[in-house]
Order: sequence, then C-alpha cells, then structure tokens
Amino acid sequence: MDDKEFQKLKVCDFEELPGPKSKEELEEMKMPFEEYCRKAFDPGNEMTKPEALKGIRWLSTTMYIFTPHSAANLAELGAEVIKVEMPRMGDPMRHTSPFNEAYLYPLHDTRPMTGTGYGFANANINEYYITLDYHVPESKRVFYDLVKMSDGLTECYRHGTFDRWKQGYRYLLEMNPRFIYVWGGGFGYGPKIFGGSYDILGQAHAGLASITGTHEDFGGHATKCTNWCIDWYSGTQIAVAALAAINWRRKTGLGTMIEFSQVQAATRMCGYTAPLYGRFGIVRQRWGNWDTQLCAHGIIMTGKVDFPDAKNPQEKFESRYVMVSAFQDADFKELCNVIKKPDLFSSYKTHKERVGAPAQIEIYKAIEDWAVDKTRSEVVKILKEAGILAAPVLNDKEVYESEHFRTRGTIRWLDDPLFGDFLVHCTYSAGLLSKTPRRLRWQWRPVGADNVKIYHDLLGYPMSTIEELYNKNIL
Amino acid sequence: MCDIIWCKKEAGGKPCDTVNYLDPYCFWNWEGKVGCAECGTVYYVHMIQGHMYRGPVEKPGEKPDILPLYADKPYKGYDFYLPGVEGRTRPFDCLPREIYLGHADTVKFSIRGKPLRGWRPQPPSTGVAGSCGFFWDIEKLSPEVWAEYQEKIKKGEVKDW
Repeated sequence: MDDKEFQKLKVCDFEELPGPKSKEELEEMKMPFEEYCRKAFDPGNEMTKPEALKGIRWLSTTMYIFTPHSAANLAELGAEVIKVEMPRMGDPMRHTSPFNEAYLYPLHDTRPMTGTGYGFANANINEYYITLDYHVPESKRVFYDLVKMSDGLTECYRHGTFDRWKQGYRYLLEMNPRFIYVWGGGFGYGPKIFGGSYDILGQAHAGLASITGTHEDFGGHATKCTNWCIDWYSGTQIAVAALAAINWRRKTGLGTMIEFSQVQAATRMCGYTAPLYGRFGIVRQRWGNWDTQLCAHGIIMTGKVDFPDAKNPQEKFESRYVMVSAFQDADFKELCNVIKKPDLFSSYKTHKERVGAPAQIEIYKAIEDWAVDKTRSEVVKILKEAGILAAPVLNDKEVYESEHFRTRGTIRWLDDPLFGDFLVHCTYSAGLLSKTPRRLRWQWRPVGADNVKIYHDLLGYPMSTIEELYNKNIL
Repeated sequence: MCDIIWCKKEAGGKPCDTVNYLDPYCFWNWEGKVGCAECGTVYYVHMIQGHMYRGPVEKPGEKPDILPLYADKPYKGYDFYLPGVEGRTRPFDCLPREIYLGHADTVKFSIRGKPLRGWRPQPPSTGVAGSCGFFWDIEKLSPEVWAEYQEKIKKGEVKDW
C-alpha cells in the first residue's frame, strides 16, 4: 500500500485524538491509582452517567427475594422493570419480615393499617409497581399486551403454572419471538418438580448447610447462613443469565427461556465438595471457623469484649471475634512467638503438619488461651504490629461506621422520594462500573402505584377501562 | 412452620373437618386454648419451640383464649374463613408483637435525624387505580414533622452519618 492509499483510509490525525502524544506526556498524565479510581467510579454521581440497560423493559411477576432480586439487578443497571403484584395485597414479602416490626406505610389506600416490611428492601428497587390478577380470564389480554411491549419476564411460580395459565414461554414466544423468559423455580424440572423452595431449602438440599457450621465433635450442627444468602446470590446469577440472553438476542434476534433452580444454584457455592467426592469418595465435613486446607486461618474468640458497657447485646457480648491468618511458615513462626509458644512452631514446622485436625485443635486452643485476657482490638493490634493478617469480626453497626465502606458508597443513605431517609447497601455491592454504574432511585412504591403510568401511558388503555378493571379487582 | 388443629368433632353425624391454622409467631412458645373456627370446639395445646408438645386435647365447656388466624375446609372445595371473621377467626393487623414493643414502631426520624416518612396510618392519597406520585413533599404533607425537623437542624441533631 502506498502512502496515498494509506492517507485515504485515515479518518483523523493522531494529533487530533485525545490522550497523551508521547511517552513523557503519558507519564505526566498518570495520576496515582487511588486517585484514578476515586475519579473513575465517583460513588454518588452515578446519575450523571449513562445506563447500560436503558431501553430494556422487563416484567417481574415475582415474589419474595430470589426472583425479585434478579429483576432488581437489571433495574439497577438501567432497565425499566415493571413489578406485577396481586391487587390490594402485593408481594407477600411486603408482609413477611422482619417480624412485622419495621414497616413503611402506605401499602395501598384500601389497607391503611398495613405497610411494607424492611424485608422487602433492596430486592425490588427502581421498579414500577402495577397490579394484575392473572386468575381472571379478563386479565389475559392485559398480560399479553404487557408481554408484547416488553423484552423479558421473570416469574417464580411452581412448575408449569404459567404454562397452564397460557402465559408460559411457549405461548408468549408466539406473540413476541424476541421475548426472554426466566422461570425461577424452586427445584426446577426433574423428579422433584412439585417442590416449592425457600432459601433455607436451597441451603439444605444442595448440601451447603451440611458443610456450614461447626463439626458435631465440637458441639456444632449443620447450619444455615442467618441471612437468605441463596436468595440473594441466585437473583444475581439469574441476572447474569438474562444479560447473556440479551446478548444472544442481539446476535440472532431470538428470545430464550432461562430455567433457574434455586436448590441447584446453591450447589455452585459448595466449591470442591463434589469433585472431592468423585475422586476419593470422601464426604466433605464441616470445619466451622477454621479451614480444612489452611492453618492458622480462621476466626478465634478473645476473652474480653471491645464494648463491655454497650447496651446492645450484640456489642456487649459479641465484640470478641478476630479473624487471623498465618498459614505460611514465616507467619506461623511469628504468630507462635507473639503468643509466647515458640515450641508450637517446633512441633508443627511445615504446613502439612499443622493442617491436620489434631494439630489445628492444639494451635487454635493455644491462640485463644493467649487471647483470654485481651480484647478484640488488642488482639488485632498486637497481631498486625507483628505483621500478621488479622481483622475484627464486625457487626452491622461497625460496618455502618466503616470509613472504607462509606468512601466506596457500599453503605450509604438514600433520600427515598416516598419513604425518606433510608440506609442501603445495594447496587454498589454488586460491583462498580466506571462508565455505566449501577444506581438506586427508589426502594419501592405502594401496591399499584404505577397502574396509570403503565396501563394508560404505556399501553394506551383509556382511564375508564383502568377504573373498570380496578373496580373489578383485576387491577 | 405453621401448625394446625384439624377439627374432627362430630356434629350432626358429620365430622367438622376444619383446618384451623395457628400463626407461627404467636404459637412458637404458647400454652392455652384455641377454638375451632367452624364448630367452636375448644382445644388445649402446649407448644414449645414450634412443636406441639401437648394436645390438641378437647376441653368441652371451656372458653377459648384465642381463635385461629385462618381456617379452611379442604373437603368442601376449600371453604375458608379469612382473618378477622367475628367469633371465628382473630384479626390480623400486622402490628408488632406486644412482647417486643407493646406498640407499633412509628419512628419519624432515622438514626442520623433526617425524616423517615412512612409512619402509620397514612391518609388515603392515591389517584386512579391506586396510582401515586413519585415524590412526597414532606413540608406540604406533614408540616408538623417538617417543623420538628427544622428544630432538629437548629439544635445540630441532624448529621451526615
């Protein structure tokens, strides 16, 4: 190619392009990485940036946490998500927790003494709330109209329910071939198709609870995570599948059905458990706050608490756990010196020697014996000064007070347009994006709050029709 | 886990066959008498940690301490009694349990002193089909809380964190 041809191909000059023009200039323009990150991610200014999923409209015919959270993930990324609830009732999660004590009102004009519990928080954010009773034949047309105007749907009903109601993927596909359909079933299809599911069932059925908690030899039992970790985790995993389906549709123009089993999702969290069984026939055991592969690498208890005068029992009695990690030989040797047990290192010089169960029992007992007259912060300070990785086990209050989390926006205050001051930890916890960050506009809205916006403004129904459907309890 | 009392009491030659649902939180640790929503038969139960430790045992002639929250009749096409049917089921109004607070927690300010809207009861305020606006102007709609908020600001009780 001669220079003339080359010049023809060019659409601009290198000098015109933004950015550094020489190596020196590049070096000059570089800022410290910390400063770069703060500028690039800039938590709190996400509303000034574009949304990755703007233009995608998703229906969320979901309940509780597992499936709603999948749609909330899309809404955080900019999709327009329409949450469909039962008229006057709403998602049962609104009435579920925490123990009916922390409610926000109103739920609906017809139920002035009923509100929405904090358990509903973070699972349905940025969504538009409409009502529709699918059980009534007259509602079918309304549902199909919504499907025709949408890119996808997430539902959580039992095996084949939507299919039986003629609103499953096989029916909707014929009306909207580009439609992406998520069935978030409990067990999914298979021999246990009739089983519904809850988070705890997922943790139990997938074998996760069997490897969580302390071994029975130490007085422990199979344990579930206190929070509904499988619900939250599965919701995010569904969103990953939905994004893949959206990309597939860009290539082929065709929709997809995503079948997502909650109990199946939990198996993915068991790590090497299944491969271990496959190779050796060994059933993995619980090992609680210690680690089967590394030692010392666990959570220990100190003898004294950090806040003995606190009123809150979580602080008064429980501020005494420390995570400590010193499994490499040099670190372990230093740990033994710090706790004044150099002979412990002589006994367990190699990692192979100290990772066995009897060795771990001796080692952790020695660390806790040393910590018996110390507070949590004293232990952390001493270990850190010795160059050993150690951190206090924080509670909610301390997470709230953590400067690290505040700087990153992990935990922050939202001025919810309807409900006011609201402490939140959603959106950023699923990753910071420099160009198209996740965002949180509102936590939730009352049941049917957007009926007019969606049925009138989007679908074009006359107001008289909306009122008629509302009076018949279909909306 | 929600325990039930399946009433099999014969009345008029037919069993009552009503399933009386015991709300889990109220009955987790509970001892007393529950009345069947259909026939009024009184049953004594003693529950510990959600397990039916004793009962249900019939207590003819005695008055129930509490009524079930909900009841249905599975052999009669699922006839049911919703919560709050007088003399049959007790009402359910989503109040916090008395053992915790004794009253509904209707705080109006968050821990950093800013208004937390959404206390109960809220006046009816929605439009067609339950629709409502996107923003609640607290100054206009709850002037007394707004005034309290201004006082808090003056006293320096409103913080960033």
